[in-house]
Amino acid sequence: MVESGITELVERALDIARADGASYADARFLQEEWEAIDVQDDRVQGVDRGATAGIGVRVIVDGSWGFAGTARLDARDIELAAARAVEIARSCSAVKAASVRLADEPPNTATWATAIDEDPFAVSLEEKIATLLDASARMKLVPGLTIAEASIDLWRRTSFLATSEGARIDQTVTQSGAGIRALAVGEREVQQRSYPNSFRGHFACKGYEHIRAMDLASNAPRIAEEAVALMKAPELPSAETTLILDAPQLALQVHESIGHPIELDRVLGMEAAYAGTSFLAPPDRGSLRYGSELVNITSDATLPGALGSFGFDDEGVEAQRSNIITDGIFREFLTSRETAPEVGEARSNGTMRASGWDVIPLIRMTNVNLEPGDSSLEQMIADTDEGVFMSTNQSWSIDDKRVNFQFGCEIAWEIRKGKRRRMMRNPNYAGKTVEFWSSCDAIGGPDEWAVWGTPNCGKGQPGQTARVAHGTAPARFRKVNVGVRG
Amino acid sequence: MTEPIGRERLLETADAALRVAADGIQVLAFHSWGGLTRFASSRIHQNTWREDIEFRVMAVVDGNRTGVASTHSFEPGAVARAAEDAVAIARHTPPDPDFPGLAPPSPVTTTTPFDEATANATPMERASAVAVALAEFPKGMDGAGYVETVADEVVVCSTTGLQAFGRTTRAGVSVLAMADDSSGYAERLERRFGDLDPRVLAARAVDKAERSRDPQAAEPGAYTVILEPAATSTIMQFLAFLGLGAKPYLEERSFMSGKLGEKIASELITIVDDPVAPDSLGLPFDFEGSPSQRVALIEKGIAAGVVWDRTTAKKAGTESTGHALPPPNPYGPMPLNLRMEPGSSTIEEIIASTERGLLVTRFHYSNVVNEKEAILTGMTRDGTFLIEDGRIARGVKNLRYTQNAIEALSNVEAVGDTTEISTELFFGGSRAPALKIRDFKFSSSTTH
Repeated sequence: MVESGITELVERALDIARADGASYADARFLQEEWEAIDVQDDRVQGVDRGATAGIGVRVIVDGSWGFAGTARLDARDIELAAARAVEIARSCSAVKAASVRLADEPPNTATWATAIDEDPFAVSLEEKIATLLDASARMKLVPGLTIAEASIDLWRRTSFLATSEGARIDQTVTQSGAGIRALAVGEREVQQRSYPNSFRGHFACKGYEHIRAMDLASNAPRIAEEAVALMKAPELPSAETTLILDAPQLALQVHESIGHPIELDRVLGMEAAYAGTSFLAPPDRGSLRYGSELVNITSDATLPGALGSFGFDDEGVEAQRSNIITDGIFREFLTSRETAPEVGEARSNGTMRASGWDVIPLIRMTNVNLEPGDSSLEQMIADTDEGVFMSTNQSWSIDDKRVNFQFGCEIAWEIRKGKRRRMMRNPNYAGKTVEFWSSCDAIGGPDEWAVWGTPNCGKGQPGQTARVAHGTAPARFRKVNVGVRG
Repeated sequence: MTEPIGRERLLETADAALRVAADGIQVLAFHSWGGLTRFASSRIHQNTWREDIEFRVMAVVDGNRTGVASTHSFEPGAVARAAEDAVAIARHTPPDPDFPGLAPPSPVTTTTPFDEATANATPMERASAVAVALAEFPKGMDGAGYVETVADEVVVCSTTGLQAFGRTTRAGVSVLAMADDSSGYAERLERRFGDLDPRVLAARAVDKAERSRDPQAAEPGAYTVILEPAATSTIMQFLAFLGLGAKPYLEERSFMSGKLGEKIASELITIVDDPVAPDSLGLPFDFEGSPSQRVALIEKGIAAGVVWDRTTAKKAGTESTGHALPPPNPYGPMPLNLRMEPGSSTIEEIIASTERGLLVTRFHYSNVVNEKEAILTGMTRDGTFLIEDGRIARGVKNLRYTQNAIEALSNVEAVGDTTEISTELFFGGSRAPALKIRDFKFSSSTTH
């Protein structure tokens, strides 16, 4: 919980904003602590521990937004920030009268915290370093391996949000993640394998129990052997074929080709100049076939332990579960209090989050999930005559309306006559969003479904990085272009 | 108006960390402030300002054990606590035989221009710049983009007696013009807000959107392309990320590994990192406090060098070039102020010399397909044109490129005679000219 001195500063900011003419104001204190440990081979590359704290004041004056954030937490600077937010909002009138209208929201008063078993910040640095060095050493034992990397990332965000409507929300979110990566460096190529996932590993709103459960050491030899084996594996040839994706790769596929296009701020053009827009339009709700009948997508910020979960968003809206795509038909956008009324919705579905005290909340994915089906990876492979099974993301790219995508994976295996055969290197695939999801003909069941954190989702100017997640199981897609070489 | 904290007060506060017992302490302090006004649908929809302070402390114990801790408080007590935390971390960290020691004092002779008008730009000045840009828009065309003004103060000091201080300003304007089925884009960054002309940028964006109305599909395949500066900048930034720093070079993961002195690109191509050029946005020292140097990376097509920090330089038996990132840094040194030297052709001459090809305004969401071969993929956006018989024939729908970037630089036939600083989705700004490249590969197309 935040200290009483902080709540007084937040209240003072609201008072100043209202006195200066804000019709709406919120003030958000945020303190984030972090710890990051990086190991390469037998060396600790860095231990970074820090904390940042500040207050951001967001106001509406004459129908326009203004925002100011400061790390200077004394009364005078907070008062200046509140007054500056009002001045900034007033400057909008130089362009065109705006009329921001917020969807109604009951002013919640609540205290919420991530449930954790073991405080990750209380675990000794020696133990964490030893875990990483041990995993790295096991990878390096594999002949032919060039570089072994291991990392741990921890965050704890303590926030207090107060709104002029009366909301008072005290929230603590704890997030943990770790991962290992094995690299084999050759004359012309670098091959890598990661565990449990690429881009620094597997992340969740959990304590250190999440990292213990990964068992990095036991998996280290396998991924190192695979990285070395990839150097001699044949390159995946170009073809149109059946594609089976593992759950972590599918998580990024959901992220890029469903999670971003359903953000209503993108749809309304608010991110047009930078991150882009969306192929979706408001009238598509209830009618656009996004995927096959097997495709059911939810946005669920209430999933216990998932990286994109919280109690309340940064507008004070309680975490919700929404049906985004049902039986392949698009139903709902991710919304905010400002954008929901634009498409006739009475209430925000609670997705507004800011990466820090110094930036405004934006519509962000929470946990956008492909709901489980009734198949299994084994079954999908068994009834595939010819195809490719790809695992673990290595590269991603998608156009500014989220239609044309191309993904690279770390590893693939060819499938022939219902069996997983040779390992293939440099696998990638490309497609168009609706065509691709419409070709989905099998999804793994609940036993293979897991939530995969994406800790590096970028959006907004100034740039913000959000930690979001996607529940997925392996799935199969027909007639996909693989082995794209340019 | 935000007052600079200034060299003396930043050093005074940092001194609280330097007094903590250790073999060595280095403090990297930032004070930054600025406003960013975003507009979309021809109105200001996000209008923000922020002020941040950070003291990032690296402690050294037992000669080569290091730890880093940071605080965003300006209180000397909090800065001292960060130093104590850094010492505690260092005590629990294994020795690092590669640790090069803290940087010695080094006179930084270059100063960077600090523009008071940019540092003190008001919300109304930024909003007025938006209004000037939007005044260029015809009816039925929507405008989006940003106007940003930023100021930074940076101090690096340490128990070796090092004291480096720098102040910088920068300003940026981007304009996206959106018509029914087309769009156009223009962006510029400079040290001084006053050097930006939102009207000119808006006119450029509107012109592109007008010219690319009713875009036709273009078949994927190999084309002669003309990359405008923003698109060139994307290619250059990815090359820097992949292989122009010493760490991937030493690990033989870079396209430069084993190639120094060899011809890897067209002789028309010269890429340098120059933090101290008058028209760069850099600082005269890096985040270890070493003086920033101009480094030739590719010179007339020859692989000339990579950038170094103290750790990689020690491993290789060379000297830092002043390109360290803030500690702790598992990624190695990076060239943050890239520039490709201009050539001798105007953009009009380049277009006129092209019988058939594509003109690309900028790329979107590029990424790496193969790091060592520097194969990239990404989309075009906001103004992609077919060139026929030496003139722009029409707009085309966007295409995906999948291309070896080094091969592309080998196929350069002309380099534009002017440069611009552009940003890229994942990186900061770099200065680049337009390029004409033959046999540039597009692997697929999209719907718009």
